[in-house]
Amino acid sequence: MEFEELQQIWDSQNNKPLYAIDENALHNRILTKKRQTHRITNVSELLSIVVNLCTGSFVFAINYSSANPGTAMYIMAAWMLVVSLYALVSRIRRVKGELQFHRTMKDDLNHAVAMANYQVRLSQLMRWNIVPIAALCLLGMWEAEKNGWVFVLTLGFFAIAYYASGWEHNIYKGKKQELEILKAKLETKN
Amino acid sequence: MSEKEQRHIFDTWLNQHKGLLFKIVRSYAFTGMDQDDLFQEISIQVWRSVPSFRQESSVTTWLYRIALNTSIKWTTKERKHYPSESLENVQHILQENKIQADDRLEWLYEQINQLDEIDRSVTLLLLEGFSYKEMATILGITESNVGVKITRIKKQLITKSKKNDHHGI
Repeated sequence: MEFEELQQIWDSQNNKPLYAIDENALHNRILTKKRQTHRITNVSELLSIVVNLCTGSFVFAINYSSANPGTAMYIMAAWMLVVSLYALVSRIRRVKGELQFHRTMKDDLNHAVAMANYQVRLSQLMRWNIVPIAALCLLGMWEAEKNGWVFVLTLGFFAIAYYASGWEHNIYKGKKQELEILKAKLETKN
Repeated sequence: MSEKEQRHIFDTWLNQHKGLLFKIVRSYAFTGMDQDDLFQEISIQVWRSVPSFRQESSVTTWLYRIALNTSIKWTTKERKHYPSESLENVQHILQENKIQADDRLEWLYEQINQLDEIDRSVTLLLLEGFSYKEMATILGITESNVGVKITRIKKQLITKSKKNDHHGI
């Protein structure tokens, strides 16, 4: 078969569409999508913002109202509020970028790789962020002379959080690698 | 642009160019659920793109660009799992038309499905009759690079079709 014949076979489907569209279902999905944000990035970004903001404010309030406020707790509260602000600014930048439509597939892949890079960087940063938070938290507990078991349980909690955030980070790393492979395939001269 | 205008343009595009979208969906997604998912993803991107359309290119080129870019990225999406309950309750967007299957067309789709994601895009543009220049513009690579890819893909498809001629397809 020559290529022209393949093209004729291809064109033969133009007059008999394979599917029918349920337009109502489609519009419902589009509207739902406009309202909902259920992607893993959205969830993790919003969690970072809300958790850091709430915990930072809570720690500050508790420490402020305490009879014996600790310096470590104030530093931790300030740190968490700064992290929350950073996550918010990063999210706004990412969402703005998502609304762009690129002229070429290469530009679009470049943008997708840049976005994946941002996700990898942010998830890594959030993972590392657990270390100073844990240190300040434990320091605060030591200042407040908490009992040993509370100390061990808190340490265990942070260890689990560190491990879980590594899992999330690896998802982003995998996606970034796949996009880079696609970009390389597009640019390869063969 | 009001939402009403956006919806009007979107509906017009969808009615006039749905065949184009179906071909891309079928080339990138293989199960019913995946085809539904990809079609939904493409539709959402097309919907969002309506206010950005500046008529610098034809609607067909614009839709091809968006649908191919979306499909390529869709292939890197987290592995798609559909819980069994969602299979029963899901509202399907695409309903397969009961048309007599053309063996040669089925074969052609099979060959396209076996190509990597980038070659699939090039093949679809080629089969749709886009020029090298248009393809280079859509893909963002040089015309010579497009030419090299096309020569290889054409050779591959022709060789396979000749092998299949012996089997009566």
